[in-house]
Amino acid sequence: MVHDVFTFLVGGKAGEGVKKAGSVAAHIFSSLGREVFQMDDYMSLIRGGHNFSVVSTSSHSITSHYMKANLVVNFDKRSCDTHINDVADKGIIIFNSDEQQNADGIGIPLSSEAEKYPMKKLMFGVGAVAILSSTIGMSKDQMNQNIKNQYPRGIEDNIKFADSIYDLVKGRCKNKYPLQRGYKERSIITGNDAISLGAIAGGLDTYFGYPMTPASSILHFLAKQAKNFGLAVVHAESELAVINMAIGAAFTGAKSMVGTSGGGFALMTEGISLAGITETPILCVLSMRPGPATGVPTYTEQADLNFALSAGHGDFLRIVASPGTVEDAYYLTAEMLDLVWKFQTPGILLTEKHLSESSMTIDLDIERAKWAEPKMHNGGNYKRYKDMDDGISPMLFPPSKEIIKWNSYEHDEIGITTESADMIAKMHNKRNKKLRKLIEHLKTQATVNIIRGEHPTNIFAYGSTYMSVLEALKYGGLNPTIVQPIYLSPLPVWELEEFINQDNIVIEQSVTGQFASLLKEKSDLNIRSVIKRYDGRAFDPIELSIKIKEELE
Amino acid sequence: MENLKTNAEITWCPGCGNFGIFTALRNAIPKLEAKGINREDIVITAGIGCHAKIFDYLNLSGLYGLHGRNSSNAEGIKISNPDLKVITFSGDGNGLGEGLAHTIFAAKRNQDITMILHNNGVYALTTGQFSPLTNQGWKGPSTPLGSFETPFNAISLLIEVGATFVARSYAGDIKHLTKTLIRAIEHEGFSFIEVLQPAMPYHKWEEYKDKIEYLSDEPKSKEEAIKIAHNAHRFTIGIFHQEIREAYHKSLYGSLNPVKESLSRDKRLEKIIEILKS
Repeated sequence: MVHDVFTFLVGGKAGEGVKKAGSVAAHIFSSLGREVFQMDDYMSLIRGGHNFSVVSTSSHSITSHYMKANLVVNFDKRSCDTHINDVADKGIIIFNSDEQQNADGIGIPLSSEAEKYPMKKLMFGVGAVAILSSTIGMSKDQMNQNIKNQYPRGIEDNIKFADSIYDLVKGRCKNKYPLQRGYKERSIITGNDAISLGAIAGGLDTYFGYPMTPASSILHFLAKQAKNFGLAVVHAESELAVINMAIGAAFTGAKSMVGTSGGGFALMTEGISLAGITETPILCVLSMRPGPATGVPTYTEQADLNFALSAGHGDFLRIVASPGTVEDAYYLTAEMLDLVWKFQTPGILLTEKHLSESSMTIDLDIERAKWAEPKMHNGGNYKRYKDMDDGISPMLFPPSKEIIKWNSYEHDEIGITTESADMIAKMHNKRNKKLRKLIEHLKTQATVNIIRGEHPTNIFAYGSTYMSVLEALKYGGLNPTIVQPIYLSPLPVWELEEFINQDNIVIEQSVTGQFASLLKEKSDLNIRSVIKRYDGRAFDPIELSIKIKEELE
Repeated sequence: MENLKTNAEITWCPGCGNFGIFTALRNAIPKLEAKGINREDIVITAGIGCHAKIFDYLNLSGLYGLHGRNSSNAEGIKISNPDLKVITFSGDGNGLGEGLAHTIFAAKRNQDITMILHNNGVYALTTGQFSPLTNQGWKGPSTPLGSFETPFNAISLLIEVGATFVARSYAGDIKHLTKTLIRAIEHEGFSFIEVLQPAMPYHKWEEYKDKIEYLSDEPKSKEEAIKIAHNAHRFTIGIFHQEIREAYHKSLYGSLNPVKESLSRDKRLEKIIEILKS
């Protein structure tokens, strides 16, 4: 494989510790100072089915998993059948010989070894870690230390079991893939962890959520950290409740965030519109999965872009931005929290399952996170919707002797309902002024990430597709320019002008090419072709590099 | 009675039952102040409908929300700053139709807010369709042959789902309503008052006056309260149920005030570094 990428794939039934084995592998690689990208593929069920975890590692930067694995460990027959083509050149498959005979690869009697212990199949993950440890030439002592740290339940049995598996593998492929040490030991977090931490760093006080994959782990992370950070984290009865509670929270000055996926976001749009007219600072994380409707809950897509851009009835300012990497997710969430409070309007952090739930090694500059701070009223008679040159009225929160009225009806400056023609137009103009100010503000900061290449073609991608493109170009040794708009509304057309008449290719995960349409509509970009994937899976860097190469030739 | 009025033009129909609620609330607030509740700490939310117009008329801070979502707004306010006293206004359609789930969940959680349900038994502002509390047989524009759904019993419903203060009062008895409002707002936990009020185009005061009955004694248990609520007719007013149960925000985070005690940026960053190390 190119560079020094090594990929470990482990597959089995839900409940057998597949994901955990993947994450232990990721930690082993990062403890070697290497960088890691882990993608978990799982079905929408609790027990059984087929899950797998792919962990790719390199001593240099890596921004995608590779579907061709050097080491494939299968717990059952279904995994063997599924991953028969996922083996890299000279890669090896290690399968459970108790579940299947005559498969290509090396059979290990995982089930009968595990049967010796009370936890039985629950130990398969430990077995996979033992196989990996042996294959990459790790000593037993090191392996046992990792198992102790990562599997605190039944340590003795786990170590005994791991030892026996290690020995069974040793004779056949010990030290087959010695891994070079990397340069720095880094933390590994998921995109949703990064979003949660970014929100906290930006000043989050309250989070409201309703479980929906792939956004649920934000709710879980924040609920777990609530006490540590003094947050109120609430699992409400529906996304309708979620958005309206968050708007109530913002009324008190609490920095609030909500998170969901397409279906839940559909319910929230009524509230997004309420935030528009009441000028409520509110940040909504929309983590996309394949739609329409229930779609494919545990997979990835980028087909809610148009929906996010126009979410909520009526004319009002929506800020939409999408992080390209897990690290960016941290900075951008804090930045968006700051922006929604600066401009008193709803913001949508648009992401996908692929970023939300994949894990990566990160090297964060924690201090770089923005801090949300609204413009405050400083004395005198208060008018919630005072008409200012930039459309941004100062804020004030209860308790106060001044009356603070936020209103879902069109209203006057005080916040009292109006049907006056003059006032309706005046308030529309007031809110509309914020766009000009926002663009002015965005022009002073990074809104598009551009990586210049030597090839005359430019590749446009947003969100986690950016990571896939980055890895594909590295794999293929290709060097077009990459253009990744971070902001999608307002689209930073001022940054895109130079590309309008050049040769441009768009890569995205939407069957109708929503991102390409947006670029054409807003910046009149000349687009030669659109590479799309819409089967719920993220792009594989090898496959994608072939497609890009064809387009570049 | 204090003024507590804004300069907004009042657009309720002359003689509307909403005036009674408006008056009783303006009576209640100075009395609550005398008991140590600060006016600045009182925050109101409202849904959409005739009931909600009170938001514009009351000179109190608050959030005029969407149809049916007012109790969620109120919950968000209370959770973020538990020092605030939150009163949410709702209509029968607003709170038991579009917003039914939110009303029930606010009660289930024993969220420390007061819901005043203006029950005029009709969707008045949208021209007289039947509501979740309208009696069978109502001939409105959406039910020209007469409605055939059995109405909810708001009192027994709210007791059943967990409201810790449940009362019915009447817009035509300002004294009773004022007293009930004071007790409801003072109650720590979810307090619910159904206020019977005629809507002028659809009802007459006489239809109410003759039927009003007063609950003789407050029931002693939840079970008894539900039974009485079932057996009493829909014009029986009084306090049906009151119990003590920990309010939601206290169970959620104890004595914290998330917005007032928001952690400093430095402390947050320090803790984030700790998390990333582990």
